[in-house]
Amino acid sequence: MIFAKVVGKVVSTHKDENLQGLKLLLCREADHAGKLLPAYHVAVDAVQAGEGDFVLVAYGSSARFTDATRQAPVDAVVMAIIDDIQITEPAR
Amino acid sequence: MQLGKVIGRVWASQKVDSLKGCPLYVVQPLESSGRNKGFPLVAADPRGVAGPGDRVVVVTNTDAVQAFDRADAPVNACIVELVESIE
Repeated sequence: MIFAKVVGKVVSTHKDENLQGLKLLLCREADHAGKLLPAYHVAVDAVQAGEGDFVLVAYGSSARFTDATRQAPVDAVVMAIIDDIQITEPAR
Repeated sequence: MQLGKVIGRVWASQKVDSLKGCPLYVVQPLESSGRNKGFPLVAADPRGVAGPGDRVVVVTNTDAVQAFDRADAPVNACIVELVESIE
């Protein structure tokens, strides 16, 4: 999983039928300290996340293991909204 | 699988149903010498074996899904063992 911040929504009318009804979010990758990184990902929303939320994104074939994405052609899913990250020991 | 050290916890009240009750930790991967290797990652702990500061074994990629009872959870990394000692 990676940390990310939801920075926008992707709107599309013509899409694969297995993607109908799914919300696509534009997510900017972050590190564990909350610092934003340059990479962006488009991820399906499985937890009713909204713009500005700090979230966890699962990627690759693991992204299909939610009720929303089981049959869908996806490789990234927002699977948790983060309340807090508590670092108990410095990473380096 | 790789060695790692639990350096933090991620609190998320809203998550997919298959991860309800499953703690999420920030894990720093380690070399066998105990030195840090690369960047910290987020790992689920479906068996509840780990705590802050523990050394653990982490499974990454699609194989991490197998650590869940029904092999049905959107995760990329899972803690599967608590390390007691390395000989």
